[in-house]
Amino acid sequence: MIQKILMKNEIGKFYIELAEDYNIFAPVNEKGSIVFKKILNSEDIVLDYFNSKVPPKEILFPKTEVLFNYTIDGKDIKIEDRDDLNEKNIIFGIRPCDAHGFMLLENFFGFGAVKDEIFLKKRKNTLLIGIGCNVPKSTCFCTSVEGHPFKKDDLDIFLVDLGEKFLLETINNNGESLVKKLTWLTDPKKGDIQQAKELSKKAEESFETKLDLSKIDKILDPNFNHPIWEEISEICIGCGTCSYLCPTCSCFDVIDETDQYNNRGRRIRIWDTCQSCLYTQHTSGHNPRGSCIERCRNRIMHKFSYYPENYNTLGCVGCGRCVQLCPVNNDLRTIINKINEIENKKEEKVVA
Amino acid sequence: MPNPYIPVLTTVKSIASENKVNDIKTLELEFKNEKDYKSFDYIPGQFAEISLIGKGECPIGIASSPTEEGSIKFTIKKMGEVTSGFHNCEIGDVVGVRGPMGNGWPIEDMKGKNIVVVGGGFAFSTLRSLIIYILDEKHRKDYKDITVIYGNRDSGEVLYRDVLEEWKKRNDIKVVLTIDREEEGWNEKVGFVAPVVKEVAPLSENAIAVVCGPPIMIKTTIAVLEELNFKDEQILNSLEMRMKCGIGKCGRCNIGSKYVCTDGPVFSLAELKKMPNEY
Repeated sequence: MIQKILMKNEIGKFYIELAEDYNIFAPVNEKGSIVFKKILNSEDIVLDYFNSKVPPKEILFPKTEVLFNYTIDGKDIKIEDRDDLNEKNIIFGIRPCDAHGFMLLENFFGFGAVKDEIFLKKRKNTLLIGIGCNVPKSTCFCTSVEGHPFKKDDLDIFLVDLGEKFLLETINNNGESLVKKLTWLTDPKKGDIQQAKELSKKAEESFETKLDLSKIDKILDPNFNHPIWEEISEICIGCGTCSYLCPTCSCFDVIDETDQYNNRGRRIRIWDTCQSCLYTQHTSGHNPRGSCIERCRNRIMHKFSYYPENYNTLGCVGCGRCVQLCPVNNDLRTIINKINEIENKKEEKVVA
Repeated sequence: MPNPYIPVLTTVKSIASENKVNDIKTLELEFKNEKDYKSFDYIPGQFAEISLIGKGECPIGIASSPTEEGSIKFTIKKMGEVTSGFHNCEIGDVVGVRGPMGNGWPIEDMKGKNIVVVGGGFAFSTLRSLIIYILDEKHRKDYKDITVIYGNRDSGEVLYRDVLEEWKKRNDIKVVLTIDREEEGWNEKVGFVAPVVKEVAPLSENAIAVVCGPPIMIKTTIAVLEELNFKDEQILNSLEMRMKCGIGKCGRCNIGSKYVCTDGPVFSLAELKKMPNEY
């Protein structure tokens, strides 16, 4: 592990040195919202932010993405593979929760006999430089889902915001070889490391939400047909915001886009959501998840029951986007508490 | 590893209309490259994502058997944009194929057993594959008695008449056909599939029943098979689901923690009973 100091007024230098070899993505302010964008001018980088509205998953798993291109000349059809997957990327300023989201996506896309090489290649060529959250949002709950505002494991380089400067720490060999190139970085003082420790503790203590997720998969499994799903889905309007903005949701639709002369086009994938009725509807009209109740249940079951079953870890990173941006305030934290109540109520009955 | 979304290219070798109303056709596809054909190593019950480049892609069960060498077949009902596109295909048109996908029928576990095949409507395609595979001279000795019960709404909907006729001529397979209502010139059974299964009463001992068809037929047939002492482990189903990728990534074909495209489409009734009723 290497520890260094990166002054905030040296971000420009940092950018210029790395932009030669990497596409650099970082938070910028776009029409009042924080978004991760490819940086063309280091002055656009925003360092004072909670988190982006849309998670940085869109850098490696964009809303629409080309799977391949094709040309059609009568019966002569040619398919061209993508040739841009080997570009090197740095995602600067990613939060620990979203970095953990990438880890879960990597798990998912790399699972099974046939893997999603498009995502995996890009992920392999991407370095994550994360910044710890000194001030978590009121909707954040990463500490309830095995996360932490200063969790470093899913990153290559970890930064702690010390005001005028960052304390920089390399997490693995990839991070280390990058930092070794930046010979101008100075060494930290003892006080810097101490300050970082205190900030971590303070951040952890500032969480307002603490959810009990220790038994959630065990509670969910036998309660697939519990009436609670009706209650949970009652106010849902099925807009899908929760899943589009989730750092671990990765469902997609596939369509062909052909130009007006019908001789050139591309097969693309587009973000999709299990909250949409058409997502599961068969051509025959039959729909295995035809009601909002079933669709809401699928989202919760997927993150807190199916995901743990398949990967032995929760499918939620506690970023709180679905809590903050749900238009009808169908709060995931309330939903989890309600599910925990199922068990408590049962125990009460047993006692009575 | 290559990009898993890129299909290999095939050309349409033959087109056969399968029913009187002409909304079901079987397309026979020939691989453009011998190498692609060799690596398309499939068993009965698997499916493929087939596409018209520029129109789109859809998952279709493989109707041919690997023993029918040189080409693969798909039976397609005209339903939406892509399947209508397939219906408009001419010989020589290019079709993209990704696959084979899914687990397929457990042909190894079925060895040494009596096989009962119950099909309804146009869900018969992967059953055609299975039966042709078992009847092949290389494999017939591995399996015991074969009973096929195949029901349709009317005589015009019966698929694969040529192979059905061949099977009827053989003495190592019992073929029972039925249609819902009586028709002039129909000399086979009349009535729904489930009561016909009851009448034929295949023995459950050392048997595997393979059931494919519309949901109501599956439900009623399973009830009859249970009456005939078939255990949940002895009853196999092949499920259909909306799918996009076929490799467990696009998300939509999940039933609980399982994906129909990679964990299925074939599940035993015992497995299905452990899964949520969301299919």
